Amino acid sequence: MNEAVNAKEVMDFLKPKMGARFTMWQRICSHCGLCANTCHYYTANGNDPQMIPARKVRFLNDILKKKGRIDRDYLKKVYDTAYHECNMCRRCTLFCPFGIDIALMISLLRALLLSQGMAPQGLLKAVDNYKEFGNQMAVTEEDWVETLKWCEEETREELAGLKIPIDKKGAKIMYTVNAREPMFYPQDIMEAAKIFHVAGEDYTFPSDKGWDDTNLAMFCGDLKTARIIVENTFKRAEELEVQQIAITE
Amino acid sequence: MDFFLFVEGPLLWIAFLTFIIGSLLRVGLFLSVSRKMDRIIYRHFRWKYVMATFLRWLLPINKDVAKNPVFMILAYVFHICLIVVPVWYSGHVGLWEESRFGWSWASIPDALADWMTIALVAIAVFFLLRRVISADIRLLSTFSDYLLILVTALPFLTGYFAAHSTLGSIAFLGDNMQLIHMLSGELMLILIPFTKLSHFILFFCSRGATAVEFGRRGYSV
Repeated sequence: MNEAVNAKEVMDFLKPKMGARFTMWQRICSHCGLCANTCHYYTANGNDPQMIPARKVRFLNDILKKKGRIDRDYLKKVYDTAYHECNMCRRCTLFCPFGIDIALMISLLRALLLSQGMAPQGLLKAVDNYKEFGNQMAVTEEDWVETLKWCEEETREELAGLKIPIDKKGAKIMYTVNAREPMFYPQDIMEAAKIFHVAGEDYTFPSDKGWDDTNLAMFCGDLKTARIIVENTFKRAEELEVQQIAITE
Repeated sequence: MDFFLFVEGPLLWIAFLTFIIGSLLRVGLFLSVSRKMDRIIYRHFRWKYVMATFLRWLLPINKDVAKNPVFMILAYVFHICLIVVPVWYSGHVGLWEESRFGWSWASIPDALADWMTIALVAIAVFFLLRRVISADIRLLSTFSDYLLILVTALPFLTGYFAAHSTLGSIAFLGDNMQLIHMLSGELMLILIPFTKLSHFILFFCSRGATAVEFGRRGYSV
């Protein structure tokens, strides 16, 4: 069913975000097409012209020109392009003579879609989890610490004296993981612990929010939540007075 | 006032002022808006990356030249001719000397100006054909993309005709080629701030902004 979209809502969302760079890039893109064969979507789809990066961002200008007067069918087309025709790798920007950041514009389109309630279900759930639990997989602090303790017990059988430090203040490195590790792949945590132990590295895990180094909020253009996620990690690192943050991926 | 005098007088002033003030406004607008809405550029600004990116892209020492050598070499030659001929052609320098400013500077040999003009027009024809023939580029193109190739090539074509009386035998064109040449040049100057031709100056803002981030992340600028 095709519904109208609130044009004012769309423009109220977009206009404050149309900074100087976006406006400039729309003006000076010379439609030279040099971005075409730099894009893996283009080449993997038999050099389909619809996959040219300069083509994929057409919606931004179009929506502004239409003053937000679009409908749900239109947004579905935007969704198709923003999620299925680009993964914001920015390779095109490396080759654009003006360094136009197509990925940033796709990210803005994803943010617009999110504001209209359109985003992949998995990302939406993950964003809710980040907000409530500080991590993508809704792992509670209790379960996280328990998992680390369990990993320590298991690995100690292999390497005597192995410790998995939690909240060690003044350690050199604060190590963060992909939230899927405590949930599905604790062996990854155990393997990292073994390496740290044998290397004699001074490190620690944080106990509370900040241990998840994924950022799915960024993938759906929710930059506010994306910022909170990163801030959590940096805050913990500052509180623990570590020198470096290491990430698992 | 006689139309010719109008075109070489007040209209020329209008064209140059529109071009200069318009282009400065475009940059000014970018700087003032970006200070409020793209603060990230300034938070991490480093001249090292900005200078490096200008060098890499003003000179043919960037990734595009390696990936698309033919197109890029033609584009570079086109732009060199675009800038060199109007500024250093002896006929133009003479006009500046005669003007109220009395500015004078060295000029290039007329034969060189001829060849550069022909090269520019030829490459413009190539750009136009490419835009019409390539399905990729055609999909991207707007009316403005086609028009501006003509707008840019016309001053050079008519300038050549005027200097060599090429179409002198055709009464109207022969008598008015200089007028047509001036009008075409003024048209281009006026359109620059309002179209993608503004890239001549916004290039620096755009490349600079991207280089500040990419350089910081260790990507190629």
